[in-house]
Amino acid sequence: MSPDMLPLFFERGGSEMRRALTALIALCILIPFPAAPAEEKVTLTIMWADWEPAHLLLKLAEEFTKETGIEVRGNFVPWPQYHDKMFVEFASRKTSFDICLPDSQWIGEAVEGGHLLELTDWIKEKVDLNNYPEMVIKSYSEYPDGSGRYYGVPGLLDFVLFAYRKDLFEDPKEKEEFKKRYGYELKVPETWEQLRDIAEFFTRPEQNLYGIAMWQAPLATAGLVDEFLGLFWSKGGRLWSGYEDKKVVGYLNDEAGYEAAKLWVELYKFHPPGAANYSVDEVLTAMQQGLVAMAAIYAAFYPALTDPKKSRYADKIGFFMSPAAVDPSGKKHHYVQLGGQGMSISAYTPHKEEALKFLEWWIREETQWKFAEAGQITPDKRVVYDDRFLKLAPINEVVRKSLPLLRDFWEIPEYNEMAEYMSRKLNQACLGQITPKEAMDDIARRHEEILRAAGYYGR
Amino acid sequence: MRIGDTGLKWLFLAPTLLLLLFIVVFPLIWSLGLSFCKYNATRDEPPLFVGLQNYRRLLSSPDVWRRFTVTGRYVLLAVAGEFALGFGLALLLNRRFYGKGLITTLFLLPMMFSPVVIGTFFRFMLDPNWGIVDHVLSKLGLPRIAWTSDPRFAIYSLVICDVWIWTPFMILMTLAGLSTVPPYLYEAAEIDRASWWLKFRYITLPHIAPILILALLFRTMDAIRFFDQVYVLTGGGPGEVTETVPFYIYKVAFSYWRTGESCALAYILVIVIIGLSSIYIHYLNKVRGR
Repeated sequence: MSPDMLPLFFERGGSEMRRALTALIALCILIPFPAAPAEEKVTLTIMWADWEPAHLLLKLAEEFTKETGIEVRGNFVPWPQYHDKMFVEFASRKTSFDICLPDSQWIGEAVEGGHLLELTDWIKEKVDLNNYPEMVIKSYSEYPDGSGRYYGVPGLLDFVLFAYRKDLFEDPKEKEEFKKRYGYELKVPETWEQLRDIAEFFTRPEQNLYGIAMWQAPLATAGLVDEFLGLFWSKGGRLWSGYEDKKVVGYLNDEAGYEAAKLWVELYKFHPPGAANYSVDEVLTAMQQGLVAMAAIYAAFYPALTDPKKSRYADKIGFFMSPAAVDPSGKKHHYVQLGGQGMSISAYTPHKEEALKFLEWWIREETQWKFAEAGQITPDKRVVYDDRFLKLAPINEVVRKSLPLLRDFWEIPEYNEMAEYMSRKLNQACLGQITPKEAMDDIARRHEEILRAAGYYGR
Repeated sequence: MRIGDTGLKWLFLAPTLLLLLFIVVFPLIWSLGLSFCKYNATRDEPPLFVGLQNYRRLLSSPDVWRRFTVTGRYVLLAVAGEFALGFGLALLLNRRFYGKGLITTLFLLPMMFSPVVIGTFFRFMLDPNWGIVDHVLSKLGLPRIAWTSDPRFAIYSLVICDVWIWTPFMILMTLAGLSTVPPYLYEAAEIDRASWWLKFRYITLPHIAPILILALLFRTMDAIRFFDQVYVLTGGGPGEVTETVPFYIYKVAFSYWRTGESCALAYILVIVIIGLSSIYIHYLNKVRGR
C-alpha cells in the first residue's frame, strides 16, 4: 500500500480491515514474552574500575565457574566515572551488578543508603578477620568503624607508593653532583624533605626533565587529596578532632596542616608544566615517557610502568615507599595513604547465595595466592608475610613495609564533597591563587559547614 | 468490540503521548517538586519539603555566582568567536569557486563529531608536554602554554574547542540566510554604483538579520548548557576557573547527591535561559517587523 492510500484505507476500509488492524495492535501489545527456562544458568556481574586488577579477577573467576557452574562477567568503568556510575545505579534501587568493589572511602555513602548487603553474620561464620590488618578491615569491610557491622570482604589492597628512575638515581655523575649540592647521598628518599630535594635536583626544564609527578587534579577520587594525605598524616596533620566530635577548625588547619600544605605547594614547582590537572593517566604517562624522575601512584597501577609495551623506561623503574616526615615539634611520623577496595554485594541482587559463594571463593588463601602470583596485591597477611610473596612482583617489598603504616581518610557519606573541596583549594594554592595557609583555613571552615549541614553537630 | 475512527486515532497517538508524558512532562514536574525539598536520591528517605530554602541558599552563595560568572564569560567569548568566524567564512564561501561543495562539507565536519571525542582530542593536542599545539609554538620560538591547567588560559582552551565545533553551525545558518537575498537587489545596487559596504549594510544585513538572531539564540542557549568538554577537557579546573553552572549542577547532583539543591539550580539556569531567549526573541520580532 502506498503512503497516499493510507487516508483512504482509514476512511473507507471495511470493518474487517479495521478489526484486523485492531487485532494486530492488540496482539503486538499482548504477545507474551517467551517463558524463562525452568533452570536458568546464573551469571554474576561484578562492577569495578576498568583496570588491570579487574581483568585479572575476571580471569581468575574462570576457576570459580569451573567449580560452581556460576558464570562471572565484568562491568568495568573508567576510574573518573566509576563512583557516579555505581551510585546512579544504587539510586535507582536496581543494579546491573551483583558484586561491587567500591573504593574504600565510599563505604559510608553506600551503607547509609542501604545499598550493600550486610554480611556481619556471614563474616563471623566464614572469615577469620585475623588474616587482615585492622586498618584494612576498618576501611574495606566495617562501617561505622568499630561497630562490628560488616558489608564486604577485603578485595584489593592498594596504597600510595612512588616509582623512580633507577638510571638517574644510580648514575655516578648524578650522585656526585647531588652530594655536592645537598650534602648527602642520592638514594630513594626516606623523608618528604629529602623527596623535595631530589625533586628539585632533577627539575631541568631545558632537558625536558622534571623532578616529580603527583595527582594534582581537583577531584574527590583519583585527585590531589588522595596523594596529599600521606604527606599530611606524616607531618602530624589531623583531619578533625575525632570521629565523635568531628570538629575541623583548629585541627585540620593547625601548624602541622599548614606545614604539610606548604611542602605540597613547594613540590608542585618540580612538576612538569600543566600538572595542575594530573590524575591517573597523566602521572603514568609522565613516568612512562621519562618526563619525570619520580611519580606517586597507587600501587595497583604499577604494571603500566613495568610493561615494556607501555613504558619506555620499563626496565629502569624502581619503587619506594611513601616517605616519613617530621612534624613542627620535631617528632617523626610515618603514614601511608590507603586506597583499595572491599568486595561487597549489592543489596538489590537476586543472586545473593551465588554472590556469597563468590566471596567465599575469593577470600580463600589459595585464590589470594593466585591473585598475588599474577602480580596483584592482596591484603591477606598469610600471603604478604610469606617470603615467597616478595619475589612475585617488583613492588612487594614496599607492600610488606607499607602494610602496618596504612591510614585512610573520611568514610562518611559527605567525604566526596569534603575531598573535592580539599583538592580544589590546594590546587588553587599550587597555582598561586591563594596561600597554603589560606587554603587550609578555607578547607577547615568549609568542612565544618558540610558536616553541620549534614547534621553531625546536633546529634 | 468495534473501535471507531476517533478511537483508532487515539490508539495510534496514545503510545507517543504516554511516552512524552513519562519521559518529558513527568520528570519536569517531579524535579520542580524536588527543588523545594531536601532530598538525597541515594538515601532511602523521602523528600523533606523545605520551601524556598534551596533557592535562597543557592542565590546567596558566592560559589554559585562565581560559576555563573564563569559561564557568562565562556558564553560571551565562545558565541562571539563563533559568530565572527562563522559569519566571515560564510561570506567568503558565498561565491562561485572550484571545489566549493567539498570545502563547505569539510567546514561542517566538526559539528558531526561527538563533543566528548573532540574534547579528548583537544586534551591531547593542548598538552604542554607532548601536544601538537605547544610543539608548533615552541618551533616558532614562542613559549609553551599549559592551556588546560593554567588559570589564565584554561577558559580559552574551552572556548577554542567550542568555537572549533560550532563555527560550522554559524556558517550554515549564515549561508542559508544569504541564499534568501534576491540577486536583483544586488544588481540594482550595482547600477547605482553602491559600495560593498552599502550593499552589505542595506541589502545583506537586513535580509539575514532574523536568521542570524536565531542562530545566536540557539548557540547561546546551547553554550549556557555546555557540559561535555568541561567534563573531558578541564574537569572544572584548575582550581575552579572553568567550573560552569551545568558542570556544578552535575557535581551537586551526582557527586554530592544533594538532589533537591541540584534541581533548584537547574531551574534557576532554565529561568536564566528563558530570560536571555526572550531578549533575543524580542529583537527577532523587532527585526521582522521592519
